[in-house]
Amino acid sequence: MKLNLYENKNDMNEHVDVYYSNMRPVIRQLIDTVNSERPSLSGRPADEDLDDGDEVLLDPRNIYYLDHVERKLFAYTKDGVYRVMNTLAVCEEMLWNYGFVRVSKSNLVNIYKIVQLKPDLNMKVYASFDNGERICINRSYKKSFSDYLQKMRGMV
Amino acid sequence: MSTNVKEYLLELCCSYTVVSVLGAVVNILVGGQTNNINVLVMFSFCAIIVFVLSLHRLFDAVSPLVMIIVQYLVACGVCALLVLVLSILIEPVTPRGWFEFWRSFTIPYIIGAGYYYYRVFSDAKKQNELINELREKRGEM
Repeated sequence: MKLNLYENKNDMNEHVDVYYSNMRPVIRQLIDTVNSERPSLSGRPADEDLDDGDEVLLDPRNIYYLDHVERKLFAYTKDGVYRVMNTLAVCEEMLWNYGFVRVSKSNLVNIYKIVQLKPDLNMKVYASFDNGERICINRSYKKSFSDYLQKMRGMV
Repeated sequence: MSTNVKEYLLELCCSYTVVSVLGAVVNILVGGQTNNINVLVMFSFCAIIVFVLSLHRLFDAVSPLVMIIVQYLVACGVCALLVLVLSILIEPVTPRGWFEFWRSFTIPYIIGAGYYYYRVFSDAKKQNELINELREKRGEM
């Protein structure tokens, strides 16, 4: 898809024109993003070749967590796993207001997707999601995680 | 002075104050007495234990339970070494003295570990309530 960007500092009426041949999911997601003014991540299905896979826009609301493995960033959704061409730090900054918080060096979780926090007998605390997966909340990030929940409570 | 050193000194001051005040209260209650060597040993114990506990960041990869056990063994071992040196240099420690050392080290440690264990579960409960509240407000539930 060809992308044209026009910068005009005098134009107070910012707008987006979309020319499409048929209403594919990616076009629908693009429209949703513009309408809601929410950030979106672009990713490709992780099980496909990066050059061949169709790029899709990921709505942060559908992402359970982001996982950084071997210098690659993956987004886990209900539908599947997507490779995100971004760094974890950038995503953390971009998604901070949307319920995403760092729980370890390599994980950013969506608090709205957490079903339960459950401590193990060995005192490790895990965040469980409704897809059955769970992510460990690292001890070093425990305080920032707790502070984040309090901040979000004040914001919502 | 680095933040880590400042934090360490602050924690050392607080813990030594608590230990010395508790020691004084116990001495008043049971009519015991202390001497200068005991005061210095108490301070050295505090310095060793606070230092070992402040290394918790090194144990991020392992579970808190393993961290608590390893730190207990290391702190207890180093303190025992100090007692052994004093035993050689000043006055031999009797078997009863060793038992008293182990008991007075282990009981507060177990109480502290138990409190930490309780906090892990109570914090998780509070955070669960917060998460549920946030999800409800956003209509995710």
